[in-house]
Amino acid sequence: MNSPECCGPNPGPCQEIRPDAAKGYVTPKIYLRDKRFLMTQNSGMSTQAHRRDGKLSFVSDTQKSDDADRPSEPAARRPDGTADWSVAMARAQEGDHEAYRRLLEAITPYVRALAARQVRNRSDIEDTVQDVLMTIHAVRHTYDPARPFGPWLVAIANRRIVDGLRRRGRVGSHEAELDPEQETFWPSEANLQEETVDARAVRDAIERLPAGQREAVRMLKLEEMSLKEAAAASGMSVAALKVATHRALKALRKLFESQGRNS
Amino acid sequence: MRSTSNLIDLLAADAAPVRRLRPPMVRAACWLLLAALILVLAASHHGLRPDLATKLTQPVFVTGIAAAMLTGVLAAVAAFMASVPGRSRRWLLLPVPALLIWFATIGYGCLTDWVRIGPAGLSPGETASCFATLMMVSLPLSFALLIMLRYVARLSPGPVAMCGSLAIAAMTATALSLLHPLDATAMILMWNVGIALLFVSVSGRFADHLFNWVAPR
Repeated sequence: MNSPECCGPNPGPCQEIRPDAAKGYVTPKIYLRDKRFLMTQNSGMSTQAHRRDGKLSFVSDTQKSDDADRPSEPAARRPDGTADWSVAMARAQEGDHEAYRRLLEAITPYVRALAARQVRNRSDIEDTVQDVLMTIHAVRHTYDPARPFGPWLVAIANRRIVDGLRRRGRVGSHEAELDPEQETFWPSEANLQEETVDARAVRDAIERLPAGQREAVRMLKLEEMSLKEAAAASGMSVAALKVATHRALKALRKLFESQGRNS
Repeated sequence: MRSTSNLIDLLAADAAPVRRLRPPMVRAACWLLLAALILVLAASHHGLRPDLATKLTQPVFVTGIAAAMLTGVLAAVAAFMASVPGRSRRWLLLPVPALLIWFATIGYGCLTDWVRIGPAGLSPGETASCFATLMMVSLPLSFALLIMLRYVARLSPGPVAMCGSLAIAAMTATALSLLHPLDATAMILMWNVGIALLFVSVSGRFADHLFNWVAPR
């Protein structure tokens, strides 16, 4: 990611995470693209990489306006006023739901930026982000608050991103995407065109039936008249109508079966 | 697919208090204590090899046993350290020097003993007894390590599982060397190098399945 436009259409803080291969960690760099968005959200996000005990630690001062209304303790802050994710995770380990929610919301952009460096598809990026968040949830007891939070987060994110790439690679190697013309749908509304063709074929076949059978089918099947109504309208007896309908359906079945064999 | 913000709400609602993992060195020490206990139990059940006193005067044997034991200790420490996210994976290289010394002593023993004993040194009775010791030592250690490291199931478990298996193989080989008179070259190779290669390759190939078995995702 080399430009501030890398974060997609949504306004908001945009960031770049740059690998520092020589030292084995990544350095986040933030672009503030839409100051108006930040003003209306009453939130600012300036992220810095802090070193503690010679290790990297990510800190962020993201704080949503509605957080102040919540009964939970305020976010833990460093002496320079930035939120301390190590403390937030320590509180989360003790069962502080609100600290945990704020922490997950704050780290999501970082995880998304990490994923976007490796994954191209937008929905795959979001899948990866969710996978990383669920992994963090599952292994949150492995975090030691005495150690920096950044390497812990980046290690988990990188492993899940690589696992996701491998999984998608395996699936992609023996699955092919369907083209639109290969798609079929269960709801009948989606198949009106095919039904129209079928209906025309049935009407043409009925036209070729003998007159008595054609009339019987038209009244009883197409116009859905009762036997009595059809008998009154045509002057035929009920028994004659039944026989004519039976023979008509038999003839139609034979006709379509022979057409199916020929096609 | 649910949205990420919904997922965050769900996860936050599910944030029950958790007990923090103890430091990796402490956990490695616990596993090594278990390994020592199992070695003592196996020795008391089977008895030490009859010629152990003589063997302990041979520098190659002593070096081999010490290197195998050190490999087991260092591989266990490395597996526990590297299993914690954020710790360097270079910890996995910790047992390599001891492993090289261990295999070098085996190689040296093979070269010097091959001419003297020859390849016809296999004894089926001792092999069966060795297999019983192998199972008695390696199975409980494997289960203990799998359970203690189950949280790496979602964190690329292959390298950690291979390092843990090396620890188990080294401890098992130590037990076999102390308990059984393995003097034939083929036997020494099979019960040292063979076990190490078998354990490490099986764990590398099936790490995902093994960890999924003890910690379903």
